[in-house]
Amino acid sequence: MTMDMISAILVSGLVLGSVYALMASGLSLVWTTLGIFNFAHGSLMALGAYFAWTMTDAAGLNLWLGAGVAIAVAGMVGVGILIERTVIRPFYDDKDILLITVMTTLAVMIFLEKGIQFMWGARLKQLEPLVPGQVNLIGTTISAQEALIIVLAPLLLGALWAFLRYSNTGRGIRAVGQNPAAAKLIGVDVSKLFILTFALSAALAGLTGILLGSVRFITPTFGAEPLVKALIIVIFGGLGSLSGTIAAAYIIGVVEAALIFFVGIYWAPSMLFALLIAVLMLRPQGLFGKTVR
Amino acid sequence: MPVAFNMKTLAIAAVLILGLLVPVFVEDTYVRHLFIIAFIYAIVAASWDLSLGYAGIFNFGHVAFFGIGVYATGLCAKLLGIDPWIAMLIGGVVASAAAAVVALPVVRLQGIYVVLVTFAFSQLVLQFVISQSQITGGTQGLVRVPTIELFGYNFLRDYKFGYYYVAFALLVISTLCLRFITRTDFGLSIRALRDNEDYGLARGIPIGLQRLKVLVASAFFAGIAGGFFAIYLRVASPEVFNFSTMALILSMVLVGGTSSIYGPVIAALALTFISEGLANVDGLAEGRFMLVAIAMVLVLLFFPKGLVSVFGKRAGKSGA
Repeated sequence: MTMDMISAILVSGLVLGSVYALMASGLSLVWTTLGIFNFAHGSLMALGAYFAWTMTDAAGLNLWLGAGVAIAVAGMVGVGILIERTVIRPFYDDKDILLITVMTTLAVMIFLEKGIQFMWGARLKQLEPLVPGQVNLIGTTISAQEALIIVLAPLLLGALWAFLRYSNTGRGIRAVGQNPAAAKLIGVDVSKLFILTFALSAALAGLTGILLGSVRFITPTFGAEPLVKALIIVIFGGLGSLSGTIAAAYIIGVVEAALIFFVGIYWAPSMLFALLIAVLMLRPQGLFGKTVR
Repeated sequence: MPVAFNMKTLAIAAVLILGLLVPVFVEDTYVRHLFIIAFIYAIVAASWDLSLGYAGIFNFGHVAFFGIGVYATGLCAKLLGIDPWIAMLIGGVVASAAAAVVALPVVRLQGIYVVLVTFAFSQLVLQFVISQSQITGGTQGLVRVPTIELFGYNFLRDYKFGYYYVAFALLVISTLCLRFITRTDFGLSIRALRDNEDYGLARGIPIGLQRLKVLVASAFFAGIAGGFFAIYLRVASPEVFNFSTMALILSMVLVGGTSSIYGPVIAALALTFISEGLANVDGLAEGRFMLVAIAMVLVLLFFPKGLVSVFGKRAGKSGA
């Protein structure tokens, strides 16, 4: 194994890991706070990319890229609020909320996927890169956009962490996650924080889609593959902790890159799943997880 | 109550006779086709109900078991030249084997992790099928699967007359088997584990083993249904793993009401006809799945026990 190979695996693993970390942290955030798992997360990612495409592409509104991205992310916040209102909120008091919201968010996923196809058609689309050109990173050449993803992901995740740790709202979100009843007693507006958390997660998904949308082609099912990877990551990392999720995302990213390098792109997903089953046999609560909620 | 029992027997006999008479009166090939597809979906939905409804296992990989049946049968019949009848059976066995593999981690997991593993499994099967395109035909699917014969009777004749009876027989046998399973001690024990896990464990029910058996059994029916699907349509296409297929069949389970084998069967018949009917409306070929999605949410919002319960059927009588 030469240095070139190691560098190639590490760099592509970092790109994958960064995308997965952005995806999975949104899932993890919603899980710890609302106690539900959002299967529509992948289609939200696709929707964000399509929003940005419509805003910025010559065939769309042709806005300046930054403005287009900002509007798309704002749009995602709106979509997030709408979803929380319609398919999650009615079930907060149901004892089967977990199973029911799995099904309602699955329904949202189908709805968005088919809706996107309806609105934008099935043809491949691509976003303009936020930064053009190529970059050489420890001996491996990647597009500047991929380098941007590597740099931006830790910054965004760091900001998320700081927000949850130091701001009042962020502390409120964590309090609700730990004990909704007690949080309500000390005057936290639980309902408001639920909406906020879900909207934040939707915006994060949309942003991931926008970042990835200039690296890969956007299709209505663009979010399905990252969602499955994010599922594997949250199982590995244990859903309960944001740091565990992020660590798992980078580990899986590098492992996947190595698998693609050694066994090829076709076998990598199956090997990853075999690895997952092995881990679960030994540690049913995930690699970093504590107890199951 | 002997009277109620007789009424029930009569009702079942009436439904059976009606089912047997349909192809005699319905000569339109397309309507017969819809019945056949509906029967196949009904088997998948009813067997899903065994693991999801009765056992309360959050199994979201059931459609993958169906798809595995489709491909196992298609590959055996086409590439290995195995008799299609046997290949169908192999489809069921392979689906069961896959379920056993998934069950290894699943029986030790709880709640959302079960959903995640089964869901991830179904997506990985899809990716696997697409990636092994030299064998499976990739996104194009596996075409020209050989079809069944019985005593020299070619099922391609008579406008699907023969296929209808095979599908109907499969449905009746599956429904009877599923009903039987839910009424045995085994069925009782899995319901006990669903309703009160701690108590069930304390009474000495081996939870891991029972869950493994449920998954293997429910996958077997889905696999057989998949096998017939491949033999009947003569293609195995990766579309069977789609979220849309999953949503459609899940909506059958929901509309029919969980924990009632008959409910999903009835719902499967109704929803297949509605959904296929909508598919012929302009612009709704894909859009109908948006309606399915909306219907799922509405049912969960307003009829959590299933629409069938509205008609006074005792859908939830088994303690849902």
